[in-house]
Amino acid sequence: MAGTLKKPFEGLRVADFAWVGVGPLVSKYLADHGAEVIRIESSTYPEALRRVPPFVNDTPHIDGSGYYANFNSSKLGASVNLKHPRGPELAKRIVAKCDIVTESFTPGTMAKFGLDYESLKADREDLLMISMPLYGQTGPWASYMGYGHVLQAAAGFNHLTGWEDGPPIGTGVAYTDFLVPHIAATALIAALDYRRRTGKGQYIDFSQLEAGVLGLWTAIVDWTANGHEQTRIGNHDSEAAPHNAYRCKDGKWVVVACATEKHWEGLKAALGRPEWCDMDRMRRRWQRLNEQKEIDRHLGYWFADFTRAEAEDEFQTEEGFDGPPIRKFTTKQVVELFQSFGVPCGIVQSAEDLASDPQIVARGHYWPLEHSYMGLRQYDAPGFRLSKTPAELTKAAPTLGEDNEYVYRKLLGIGEDEYYELLADGAFE
Amino acid sequence: MTADSPPIPFEHADGPLTGYRVLDLADEKGQLCTRLLAELGADVIKIEPPRDGDPTRQNGPFFRGEAEPDRSIYWWVMNAGKRSITLQLKLEAGREILRKLIAMSDIVVETCVPGESASLGLDYASVSAANPGAILVSVTNFGQAGPYAKWAATDIVGSAMGGQMHVSGDPERGPLRSTVPQAFAQANVQAAVGAMTALYARAVNDGAGQHVDVSMQEAMMVTMDHAGPTWDIRRVNTVGPGERRQNAGIVAGRYLFETADGWITALQVGGLVGPKADPIIDWLAETGEAQGLDSLEWRARLVAGGPFPPQDREKIEATMQAFCRTRKKEELVAEAQRRGAGWAPVFGPREIVDSKQLAAREYWVRVHHEDLGESFIYPGAPFKLSETPWKQRGRAPHLGEHNEQVLGLLGIDAAEQRRLKMKMVI
Repeated sequence: MAGTLKKPFEGLRVADFAWVGVGPLVSKYLADHGAEVIRIESSTYPEALRRVPPFVNDTPHIDGSGYYANFNSSKLGASVNLKHPRGPELAKRIVAKCDIVTESFTPGTMAKFGLDYESLKADREDLLMISMPLYGQTGPWASYMGYGHVLQAAAGFNHLTGWEDGPPIGTGVAYTDFLVPHIAATALIAALDYRRRTGKGQYIDFSQLEAGVLGLWTAIVDWTANGHEQTRIGNHDSEAAPHNAYRCKDGKWVVVACATEKHWEGLKAALGRPEWCDMDRMRRRWQRLNEQKEIDRHLGYWFADFTRAEAEDEFQTEEGFDGPPIRKFTTKQVVELFQSFGVPCGIVQSAEDLASDPQIVARGHYWPLEHSYMGLRQYDAPGFRLSKTPAELTKAAPTLGEDNEYVYRKLLGIGEDEYYELLADGAFE
Repeated sequence: MTADSPPIPFEHADGPLTGYRVLDLADEKGQLCTRLLAELGADVIKIEPPRDGDPTRQNGPFFRGEAEPDRSIYWWVMNAGKRSITLQLKLEAGREILRKLIAMSDIVVETCVPGESASLGLDYASVSAANPGAILVSVTNFGQAGPYAKWAATDIVGSAMGGQMHVSGDPERGPLRSTVPQAFAQANVQAAVGAMTALYARAVNDGAGQHVDVSMQEAMMVTMDHAGPTWDIRRVNTVGPGERRQNAGIVAGRYLFETADGWITALQVGGLVGPKADPIIDWLAETGEAQGLDSLEWRARLVAGGPFPPQDREKIEATMQAFCRTRKKEELVAEAQRRGAGWAPVFGPREIVDSKQLAAREYWVRVHHEDLGESFIYPGAPFKLSETPWKQRGRAPHLGEHNEQVLGLLGIDAAEQRRLKMKMVI
């Protein structure tokens, strides 16, 4: 069946001027589902991710970054130097062959090269274009610089991520870079469907900050309606208790959460109904929410012996007598036990764990793809599968300018002499 | 309905999805997804069990702390712009109505544990039998099949199993989850992309619907940033770096600094390190707070970007920290940006609502709750489409508010509706 169906975005072509995280992740959805996405880059002003690790052999190389590669599967690579006298014209000619333009520069950058929506639309009436800078096209912060690592602060994620007695450390990653692309892609594909039905293109002014606020869940309206400002509370939860991470014998952590009475009854049974569980003040969810610390203390004793038996001393010599507690179970034992009683529980998995996680492997998440410089590398598939037209990662990330011949000679029809003249003159740098 | 309170949800005649219909049978993993579709113009019908309604009406926080089904702020935020009907899917009569609704819908979003959807008529076989063009979006903890498919999970389990908690937190205190549920958020927004992709695929494939299988765990993996390639290439596991950043598994410079009135974030020790360090060194030198870092030798080392031995790193970070502590965060950020450094303030909900940038963009919308006689500020358009604008469509529905309207669509008359009510079908 799948063989006879067209891929969702087959026949559509995308000029992708976007860079770093947000833009490339949007066009990755299109590329992995059949669109011809052309990354338009420059060696004079290289895409930032091409210059950051991890690098193959730990050696910086323009085509060697795994960070860049993972966000750019299934795409073609063209290069153009927009500061070359013919650069903007070449870029415009590529766009004229495309259905969609994506970009994430500081507002005004595209216009500087005559690549703003109004100018591009002149050559292609039904063009669909999305601009995705940090703060949108207008406003006092429009020209502010940054990356997802700092935008997560302005968008509220630092304030809401950390221990309750500690600083707003945030998520450890450039978080908004991994939240807002999905929102941008939703808007873009909806607009694409509208274009399919009506023949009308349009311009999407996308602000990473504004989309990021969507991820704050109830925090905004809790403030505007209740005057209550939510804040970070470690691994606890305002709705569920118990709710925390606990360390196990194998050095890894498990998380346990009881959001419903059913979960709580399951946990009690799994623990063998210890006395503390049946105390009056543990009966209802709202009561347990007030007893989070007490629950953590009891569960802590279940997970670990804080009193050391003599026989175990020999294992603790390096740590001395006051060394860490003896942890009783492995993460696997805990998860199997709790899940068998229907208690939400899971291992805090590392990238290494995920690489061999049987569930993730069963879903066919990783695509091993051969890259001419990087060799065989793992690429991430999207978090969803379409039953009839699933994502297909058709190739590894492009090397810089890998498909220049195709784009300039075949697509734009530039003759051999002119092509090599442009090449020699640095127009593709 | 009075003249003061137009019918909920408001009409949205010019959205990109106007004309499509979506059935929402989702919990926390799918309600934000369908809300987005409503704001893009789709007619979203939330299907709730009769009597008690959707279980998420019990989710806090509650308006003024009063735990009632129409006062859940969770419900308000996640279900604004939808219609609500009641339907007992445990009864065949209820499933029959569901089949009729599916026949006139484009997208169905459900979040049952795999294997449990068939008894409610929400498995793909039942849905496609009712409407071969329907797109069934199933958002589950771990996906439709595989060894963990039936495991119990909440947001924190998705955050843990999907790897996010491992790269968040700090080495001393261990892994950390974001207090706002990001595994749920990721499942929702990626389900929306899946739904849109399937909708487009249907149009180019003669109306063939399909099943979109969304896994919360797998959706969360994208938030590991570059931890996946770092393991694949360097065989190093990324762990939470606390107040620092990490690069390819290596803990790098501090990015979080305390100010006189809160915190700011700034990469590369506030821009004191790296090729663009000069203007920031100048700034510290101008105020006499460079602590010697403006010497020629230091400048050269800072611009070169390190690495620095621990005592030097400490000096650099302490200098920046001392500089920030005596100043206000928004002034610091404005000046740093003027000098070419990408700083941002740490904002909480109050400061976000007061943000000058969002005010200038006319971001906020006011949503009227005529039943409470009040209106409240809600987050506004997450994107501005020039032809087919996003639209907030009013408050979330009351339980079964649209029963008559929607059953009327199916040609079920008032007498039959009364009968269905007596039989607890609606």
